[in-house]
Amino acid sequence: MTELARDSLDGCVKCTICESFCPYAAATPLFPGPKYVGPQAERFRRTGVSPDFSVDYCSGCGICTQVCPQGVKIAEINSQARAQLWEERGIPLRNQLIARPGLVGRFGTPVAPLANWTLQNQALRRLGERLLGIHRDAALPRFAGRTFQRWARNHVSPAAERTVIYFHNCGTNYYEPAVGRMTVEVLEHNGFHVVVPPQGCCGLPLQSNGNFPAARAYVRRLAANLAPYAREGSAIVANSTSCGLMLKHEAREILEVEDDDLTVVSESMYDLCEFLLLLHEQGQLRTDFQQLDLTIPYHAPCQQQGHGIGKPALDLFALIPGVRAIELDADCCGIAGTYGFKKEKYEISMTVGERLFRELRESSGDLAACDSETCRWQIEHGAGIHAVHPVEVLHRAYGLGSE
Amino acid sequence: MTDVARFASYDTVVIGAGLAGLTAALRLAEEGQRVAVLAKGVGATHLSPGTVDVLGYVDGPVDSPAKALPDFAAANPDHPYRRLPVELIGASLDWFKARLGDHGYRGGLDENFLVPTAVGVAKPTALVPETMAAGDLRGGGRFVFIGLRGLKDFYPAYLAENLARASLPGEADILTRVVELEPPLGNARDVSGLGFARRFEEAGFRESVLVELDRYLVPGEIVGFPAVLGVGRAREVWNELETRLGHQVFEVPTLPPSVQGLRLYETMTTALRRHGCRLVVGNTVVGTKTSGSRLEGVLAKTAGRPLTYRARSFVLATGGFASGGLQLDSSGQIRETVFDLPVAGVPGSKQRPFEEGYFADHAISRAGVTVDESMRPVDGKGGTPYENVHAVGATLGGAVPWREASGNGLSLASGYAAASAILRET
Amino acid sequence: MPTLETEVLVVGGGSTGAGVARDAALRGFSTVLVERGDLAAGTTGRFHGLLHSGGRYAVKDPVAARECVVENPILRRTAADCIEDTGGLFVSTQWDDPGFGDDFLRGCQATGVPVEEVPVAQALRQEPRLDRGIARAFAVPDANLDPWKLVWGCARSAKEHGAQILTYHRLLGLELDDGKVVGARVHDELNGDELEIRSQVVVNAAGAWSGQIASLAGCEVTVLPGKGIMIAMNHRLVNTVVNRCKPPSDGDIIVPIRTVSVIGTTDTRVADPDELEVTPAEIEEMFDEGEKLVPGFRNARALRVWAGARPLFAGEQVSDTRDVSRTHTVLDHAKRDGVDGFITITGGKTTTFRLMAEHAVDAVCAKLGVDRQCTTQEEPLPGSEEKRFYWLGSRVRTQEPVPGEHEIICECELVTRERLLAGVAHRHPSSLDDVRRTVRLGMGPCQGGFCIYRATGILHSFEHLDRRAANTALLDFLEERWKGVHPVLHGAQLRQARLDEWIFQGLLTVQHLPE
Repeated sequence: MTELARDSLDGCVKCTICESFCPYAAATPLFPGPKYVGPQAERFRRTGVSPDFSVDYCSGCGICTQVCPQGVKIAEINSQARAQLWEERGIPLRNQLIARPGLVGRFGTPVAPLANWTLQNQALRRLGERLLGIHRDAALPRFAGRTFQRWARNHVSPAAERTVIYFHNCGTNYYEPAVGRMTVEVLEHNGFHVVVPPQGCCGLPLQSNGNFPAARAYVRRLAANLAPYAREGSAIVANSTSCGLMLKHEAREILEVEDDDLTVVSESMYDLCEFLLLLHEQGQLRTDFQQLDLTIPYHAPCQQQGHGIGKPALDLFALIPGVRAIELDADCCGIAGTYGFKKEKYEISMTVGERLFRELRESSGDLAACDSETCRWQIEHGAGIHAVHPVEVLHRAYGLGSE
Repeated sequence: MTDVARFASYDTVVIGAGLAGLTAALRLAEEGQRVAVLAKGVGATHLSPGTVDVLGYVDGPVDSPAKALPDFAAANPDHPYRRLPVELIGASLDWFKARLGDHGYRGGLDENFLVPTAVGVAKPTALVPETMAAGDLRGGGRFVFIGLRGLKDFYPAYLAENLARASLPGEADILTRVVELEPPLGNARDVSGLGFARRFEEAGFRESVLVELDRYLVPGEIVGFPAVLGVGRAREVWNELETRLGHQVFEVPTLPPSVQGLRLYETMTTALRRHGCRLVVGNTVVGTKTSGSRLEGVLAKTAGRPLTYRARSFVLATGGFASGGLQLDSSGQIRETVFDLPVAGVPGSKQRPFEEGYFADHAISRAGVTVDESMRPVDGKGGTPYENVHAVGATLGGAVPWREASGNGLSLASGYAAASAILRET
Repeated sequence: MPTLETEVLVVGGGSTGAGVARDAALRGFSTVLVERGDLAAGTTGRFHGLLHSGGRYAVKDPVAARECVVENPILRRTAADCIEDTGGLFVSTQWDDPGFGDDFLRGCQATGVPVEEVPVAQALRQEPRLDRGIARAFAVPDANLDPWKLVWGCARSAKEHGAQILTYHRLLGLELDDGKVVGARVHDELNGDELEIRSQVVVNAAGAWSGQIASLAGCEVTVLPGKGIMIAMNHRLVNTVVNRCKPPSDGDIIVPIRTVSVIGTTDTRVADPDELEVTPAEIEEMFDEGEKLVPGFRNARALRVWAGARPLFAGEQVSDTRDVSRTHTVLDHAKRDGVDGFITITGGKTTTFRLMAEHAVDAVCAKLGVDRQCTTQEEPLPGSEEKRFYWLGSRVRTQEPVPGEHEIICECELVTRERLLAGVAHRHPSSLDDVRRTVRLGMGPCQGGFCIYRATGILHSFEHLDRRAANTALLDFLEERWKGVHPVLHGAQLRQARLDEWIFQGLLTVQHLPE
């Protein structure tokens, strides 16, 4: 077993920069801050009995690791400490449930209308809060009824010189298949044959909820599905920026999975906007965009910033005539994957997101853009503005069909 | 191949987001350059007070940097101030004051302020934000320092007693005393300075403080708070305090996180974003692409594969040993960690890098990169390893900023100078 | 001059002296202890914190090994709160002769050290950072021991039974009357007064300094200070005590204690236990040896280095201090030197301190012609009554569930305001450095960068330390800390030191504090 994350605590000079940036420490006294639960408390931990519960209030947004000037892998340390904590305590049913969007999706899809009605029903939501601990107002999505995979199975991608592999993630599959369709169409428009292999959940919600063994199993299975295509030399694109980051980086850094399939998959993994911008830098992105007179405030999810590639969505928007993209200042929407769904964390999550919601409301944008689906649901819930994946804007600008 | 250059390359890439890097980037972005700032983390602005020290101590406190700088530079040929003319330093201060108009910076090179530190030393500094100006000790006065129960980073009684014995110029006479307040913190007993600053932005909290403090103040006193008077809305908070109390109010910087530094960072990064600059925090530069003596690009470490940022010019603002811009390994080797630039002032193998006494002048303190007037690194043989790289800030050798009280001034002036040099070339 | 009357006067406030004072007080003797500095300021406060299983002596020093075998479980029973049960491993690295493992096993079996050879795979699972090339591994009941808790526990216990513990009282001289030691003159270092103490028996428990004390009574006791250096690494690279399975040598042990791991040690004879220089060569050696046990050791962050002086009593002349037995000796100076009323207890190590104290106080009983039984084999120290070992996570756990409810002064080591003030209550507030070592203020990675200012301010406000004393305390702390920091300063620790420099000299400007 390697101890990469834990060893990085040697870099901590207690400068408090991480704490200054942590939106969750600012929002609740229950979370003493990333320095405290990370490199500081880690010196007091050894396996056996976790001394602290407060680490559970870390959202896993990863801002701390990004801003740390000394290279301490704070969010990773926190994540591992949380997993240790929950391994000792046993993971509650609620966390097991929300950590398996694939499972939930599979059961909810056939009964989508009923499931959606349940989720909208105030009384049932209150019951759900009491029984399961999912906050009654949490920004849960609606089941689409027809999955993206079903559409993909019936779709024939035109043959082309280049092939790209699409990793669509659970959110797209069960809740936002239209985003998947638009992604495929945009890629095909740019001359790619798009392959949608059989695939499952990447395990990120399991990781965030501290179930490392299950997360590792999921990610290994997914890597095994995708690896053969990566070995043929094709790139893999992910529209869900957090799931893409999971495969690129977190599965190895946090879960410490050492697996040949995962290695080759992560080396071939691209965030969708990253991929499109790289195409453009090579002169291979079609720029036959129609004029779209839109003001689009753009929120880069914390996990998108975790990719460390800048904000390619903004550079893509700059190519579309008439689009005025606004780079928002606020850093976190508060949802942090499944964090904001939880009864005891919902208020914190909404407090964290308040700055972003205010900025959005004041931006008088036509619609917001954001690369992560859970963030989009939170934005719509908290700011009341329609939120789309950047690919949807490109799709519209290419004139590939109405939304 | 339309528009490829636009996105694949920048006019300037700045490495490091401390004051030096942000200054260079902002100055260039204002002049229309496409700038990217790559930083492995957030810089030292969060650790420093919001003052700009140009030259505070040379064998004793400095009254006037303008007067002291020429002799100082002459006496210290290896010091970066030798390459930074006084006019340029002055210009950088003026630029800074203008860009941070909302912070209301006062001062300049002619006369240093004397402001209290958190242990009660009267410290010279060249520029102070408006929220600190009333703490100027040179004119004397009656000062009352405010303690806030629950703030463990400020001890006004200790400060006041030391300050009362400070040696001040001329006939300046000061009296000091202390008032301890109990602001409403609820159940929390361990609140950081930043936590207090956020609370000061809440009207109810401010009201509580004002009502309590009002009872204790004596007419004509100047009121010194720890530097926690709000974050983004500091000016508003400070104004309200002064107006409501009817007294002059000032802040005393205390332990990190520096709320003042945070304000500085926010203002400068927001300005960068408004100018379309790309700021990427969390990227370490792990490689270079060169062509002869020109640097063509740098490779930034991302979560996946390294990303190349191409530019015409590069500014190295990675800081000194504190931030890892310079590194000393266990066998005594010193390296500049991004470009492996030649490092001067390295103690010889027979010399110890550190002296026995903590406050002694340690041999290693002046190690760093040497530059010419354009802030280009020089290699000691009269040449420069790269034509288009400029080094600024704490990466530079020859200075001991914490003893000279020259830190922010050096960063500001060198960042400004590098930008000037780059603008001249284009 | 004021006078104090007592039956037993103990000189020396390390583990031996504190143990003697406790044992004597428990046996009903009126007891006074004098110590020139703070308790555990000498060797006891400067060792690596190992509670020996005896394994380190099993081959070369069987007497010492047997003592450890007996005392280890006694301390576990009576001083549980001072002990963290880490367990210990002896490992044969690729640089060691695996055959020595058999000698080791035999030695342990002969001396009674509980030992079990464990599969290498198991040892590596237990300690994943160990070098993969280790050939053999043996488990023993090593543990770590907090010397301050131990010494302060003894002092508390002694006081509860009527003893007086006089720290910062330096011995000026011993009073002899007709060939008998009848008392001592001491100097109160803090207020400058002199005090006379009249005693029936003086017990010289001054450890590495006991030779100096004995000479005050005209007795020659040759104590060879054996200097050993130790380096504290920023975090626990191992959670078990790890020993090299080879004949004793430099740098052959890493002890996890509290939040750090300590590597040690060397053994160099020096002349003066107050002059303990740490050389660059010794430091290099520690890193090299550490790297053999834990690959990557050299790149781990080193916090500070310090040296302690073992009290090695030489019956005869020896050249290498490693050859001197680590067992202890009680010297009755009446028999040996014709000086009555004076006993020296010397040699030994902290693991056997209780036994040393027992023997010393037995000798006191013999001298005073009384027969009183020792009870320290069973009587728990104050704080250890519940027989629960110390748990590493306790300082974190006590802050839960809402960490903001206690004001944390030293964040690295989680020292709260309450704990700081309690630590100060027992000692003079101007000795911030002594407070540091006992409550662990500023002992973590930031080495006081944040907490020293806070502690100074608190002492000034709440302990009514005057301005000058507060300034002195702060500056002295920085100088003291620097001594241990600068010899190992590089890499990440240098980045820390630079930040600390910014804080103290740049932000606070302490170098210009007024007189």
